[in-house]
Amino acid sequence: MTNIEQHDGTTRDELVQRVALMEAMIAEGRQSTARYGWMFVLWGLTYFAAIAWTVYLPYTEWAWPVCIAACSAVFGIVRSRQPRVGGKIDNLRRHSLDAVWQVIGGGIILYLLAVIASGHGKEPGYLAAVLFFNGLANGVSARILRWWPQGVAAAIWWGCGTAMLFFTTRTEELALFLTATFCGMIVFGLYAMWLERGAAAGTVQAHA
Amino acid sequence: MADFEREDGVTREELVQRVELMERLIAEGRQTTVRFGWIFLLWGLIDLVGVGWDELQPDFRWVWPITLSAGFVLQFIILALRRKGGYRCGGSMRGRSVAAVWRMMGLTVLLYVVAAIVQHKAGQISYIAAILMFVGMAHAISAVILRWWAQGLVAGVWLAGGIATFFVPRSYVLGVFIAEMCLGMVLFGLYAMWLERRNRSGIKGE
Repeated sequence: MTNIEQHDGTTRDELVQRVALMEAMIAEGRQSTARYGWMFVLWGLTYFAAIAWTVYLPYTEWAWPVCIAACSAVFGIVRSRQPRVGGKIDNLRRHSLDAVWQVIGGGIILYLLAVIASGHGKEPGYLAAVLFFNGLANGVSARILRWWPQGVAAAIWWGCGTAMLFFTTRTEELALFLTATFCGMIVFGLYAMWLERGAAAGTVQAHA
Repeated sequence: MADFEREDGVTREELVQRVELMERLIAEGRQTTVRFGWIFLLWGLIDLVGVGWDELQPDFRWVWPITLSAGFVLQFIILALRRKGGYRCGGSMRGRSVAAVWRMMGLTVLLYVVAAIVQHKAGQISYIAAILMFVGMAHAISAVILRWWAQGLVAGVWLAGGIATFFVPRSYVLGVFIAEMCLGMVLFGLYAMWLERRNRSGIKGE
């Protein structure tokens, strides 16, 4: 039973090795997302700051552009100072995840800028769309990594986005947006950071 | 030059093997997209039928629910027939990632469209633009994963259409939507099907 030839000439040992490699790559991908848990927290806080500005401060049309620009600057600085993890981390799954987040992140910024520049910021459809964009990014990542906590985050984004098309007063919209941001971004980011800390502690213990 | 050891112990032959493996995986991923070119064609035509019917009977509220349901039924039937004929989705990691992107995009658009239709908000500019952006993002992610410039071009067309929707006069929005369906769905679907036919005839020729 240990090393029989399969129909296509693949031995059992080779299949076991392939499965082990796939599991290792999935774990690397999750680890990579956990490493970037701080980004979820940072963007979640940015969303909160932008909403707070639109509610309490003047020049509300500048809230999103300024907050996104400031967040992008902080993001760039922190990422450039973060030590690179070499070797196997640059795998195919990681490449796919980078593609998902870079494209959807860029798309959200493009969409928001177009909404603001064209004066369509009063339509409820645009805030719902932003929630759906975030749900899409989390949903694709969860599917690629086969990671149910991120699937829950995606469901929260989609659920709040759907609800936003039904509850359309300004207060309800804000409550839904802030709920989605808090649960789907900040709480998920903190969870990812906690996972990373656990993994780092495990690595330190293993080295000791 | 043929087999010298590098500083990190990786030989030239190993590097060549890795590059070949990566190129093969990318080709497999593209092959998966090409095999499903008919889905782009199908949904392009379904959406065009929906737009046409909506123009003819603007007061009939069941246009889009009926059209979209018919699209799903047709897709399900064609998929089942192709599976019987021996077609399988590519099992490579890139293929699975691309499949994940399109499945999640489909789910997202479905939720968004159903909620907007139920609440009669489907006429908002930001809603129409968001649908074009969803599809554009899915194409862009696939293009980056597969390093496929043709799909990147299609993504650009979708994203540009989504942005243009905000700025063109209201009467032109339908024209933008139809142009997107023709260029980004029907034409890309036909291109993918042509690629698939060429690949299959190449395999038979070998």
